[in-house]
Amino acid sequence: MHAVEVSHLAKRFGETQAVSDVSFFVDPGEIFGLLGPNGAGKTTTIRILLDIFKPDVGSVSLFGGKLDQDTKRRIGYLPEERGLYKDQSLDSTLIYLATLKGLDQKTARNRLGAWLDRFDLAGHSHKKVQELSRGMQQKAQIIATLLHEPDLIVIDEPFSGLDPVNTKLVKQILEEQQKAGKAIIMSTHQMYQVEALCDRIVLIDKGKVVLEGKVEEIKHKFAGNTLVIEGDGDFTHIPGILEARKENGGWHMALDYGTDPQSVFRAIAARTDLRIERFELAEVSLDDVFIQVVQSKAAEMGAKDA
Amino acid sequence: MRNLWIVAKYEYHRFVIRRGFLISTLAVPLGMAVLITVLIIYTESKISRLPVGYVDQAGFLNIDLQPVHPNPQDGLSIRAYPDEKTAMAALEGGEIQAIFVFPPDYLKTLHTGLYYLEKPPSDIVWKQFDDFVRINLTASLPESIRERVIAGPKITVIDITSNRQFSENSIINVILPFAASFLFFYATMSATGYMLRVVTDEKENRTIEIMVTSLTSQQLISGKALGLLAVALTQLLVYLIAVVVGLKIAAPYVEILRQAIVPWSYLGVMALFFFPAYALIAAVMIAVGGAMPETQQGQQVAGLLNLIFLLPIFLLPLLFENPSHPIILLMTFFPSTAFLTISLRWGVSTIPTWQLGLSWVILVATTTVMVWAAARIFRAGMLHYGQPLNLKSLLAVLKEQ
Repeated sequence: MHAVEVSHLAKRFGETQAVSDVSFFVDPGEIFGLLGPNGAGKTTTIRILLDIFKPDVGSVSLFGGKLDQDTKRRIGYLPEERGLYKDQSLDSTLIYLATLKGLDQKTARNRLGAWLDRFDLAGHSHKKVQELSRGMQQKAQIIATLLHEPDLIVIDEPFSGLDPVNTKLVKQILEEQQKAGKAIIMSTHQMYQVEALCDRIVLIDKGKVVLEGKVEEIKHKFAGNTLVIEGDGDFTHIPGILEARKENGGWHMALDYGTDPQSVFRAIAARTDLRIERFELAEVSLDDVFIQVVQSKAAEMGAKDA
Repeated sequence: MRNLWIVAKYEYHRFVIRRGFLISTLAVPLGMAVLITVLIIYTESKISRLPVGYVDQAGFLNIDLQPVHPNPQDGLSIRAYPDEKTAMAALEGGEIQAIFVFPPDYLKTLHTGLYYLEKPPSDIVWKQFDDFVRINLTASLPESIRERVIAGPKITVIDITSNRQFSENSIINVILPFAASFLFFYATMSATGYMLRVVTDEKENRTIEIMVTSLTSQQLISGKALGLLAVALTQLLVYLIAVVVGLKIAAPYVEILRQAIVPWSYLGVMALFFFPAYALIAAVMIAVGGAMPETQQGQQVAGLLNLIFLLPIFLLPLLFENPSHPIILLMTFFPSTAFLTISLRWGVSTIPTWQLGLSWVILVATTTVMVWAAARIFRAGMLHYGQPLNLKSLLAVLKEQ
């Protein structure tokens, strides 16, 4: 049984089709990446998943059934729109939220102590939320997501506002949750975090699924579509290149679908203003995949419109 | 249901520890304490404990026939003097505070002379000396008639449609419903004002997404409304205790307060109207808070709506002049003004039972619809970060399946 099964979701807000035909599943013990550019429909998909919005079309199954009060208690959600009661103390707010998820006060308080210690917030537990720094509030929000030990964790940009030490801590915690058999849906723009953590991903663009599968398989599929070039000159306007960016003294280039690296080499060699010192096929990153898929789709749509 | 109670408890605790709540709640008992202290000091300063003397030239008074005072130490000491000269000497010597002189033809003319130096005798002295004279005048009558004559007339008007009683002595019983109306309404408006605040807080704190993934929006707003209802009831209870204790303390010093009776029928009817009225105002505030993006905007709209709820106060002169005026009747049946109009009308007239029943039915029906609509608007509005819900969106939300 899948922890989450989303089938052919569609949702329209007025004139805007926010989501159309989105399907995916997530299994227990899996970290699943829900990716896409800004406005792609990720948050709407999450909100439909959690019954915040009703879908126009499609269905959502959580732990093999519909979302009811008991199922809600099995979910931990870190929304994109962060928020805690600012005029209340940190511990009372977190205990309150945990009791709404079915914990009794005593258990919530006992568990909270360990989490506050782990996130180095124990000394701030009686402070009002508004007195905490942005990073501390972010950590508090993560505690609120996990305190009731949910079976499904839905986290939207979990690393925003965190320093490298805390980013590492959160990654470690997510891995522990995964090992404990929890299903995790993570939405983020930090592709290197997705690469490091996720087993599978779905990439949504303009409300539709444009890519889905295991991270390694996707990277393998897109291998050969990225070049690393070292040399002199401006390599930004080469035919067949979707994006060229300077990285570690060289140029990192994402190729358009169907572009042969050899044709790129010939095009550069033909240019008198450019000089090549190194030309090699790079190991593809999810960043490159993201750019290639999203920009190709955008170009496709542009061509169709024209 | 569990979550509803958790929310109610949390909101209650969150509000009762606020400084604003503590100040507004303790203001009435403190005000009452100050008022009573001033009243007692004023009354005490007016009361002279010196005896009162009399000169009975009509020969009808017996010094041994004195009224029995419930507190003997507070009873008036009365002295008889054989003539005005002796009595005046005692008055000027500061032995007595006043002299009553009954001329020989007193029983025919009922004219009495009174002498005092600076301050006239207080009402209490008058009352006690009056009792002394009455007892003497009725000494020859049979006991039962004597007691009735001494007690004097007491007129009670009974309205045959509602069985309500109006006593000519109990102006306080007319004032009480008015005072209670304002306290009731003040507590209701405070609590529902808080309601607007907690709803917009929820939006500004961006907690709504976490909340609606833990409980339903109906549970959330019902829990909040219930918590704030408990806040309002706490405030009312404190007010009630303050008033009762205040009346008990002040009654021995102020005659009018001794005649106060608990207006049970008023309290019963108001309790019946209070809960749906509270829910209606709370629902309106929830809808306003849900539809407006910021607290300030919400407060502006709520301020305008409050005027509708407070309309009966503005029309108070009309209500006093003609409590059955068509406009007053309309306000009796209009859901947002029903509570206050009935409360105010109670003090000056009787309200036919059918009007109370119809008004209550309209109020409950409107409240039911409003609570349903408020839950929808709240949920939709909460997810419109930073944007107000326009009329079109509101209608769409209400039509949504």
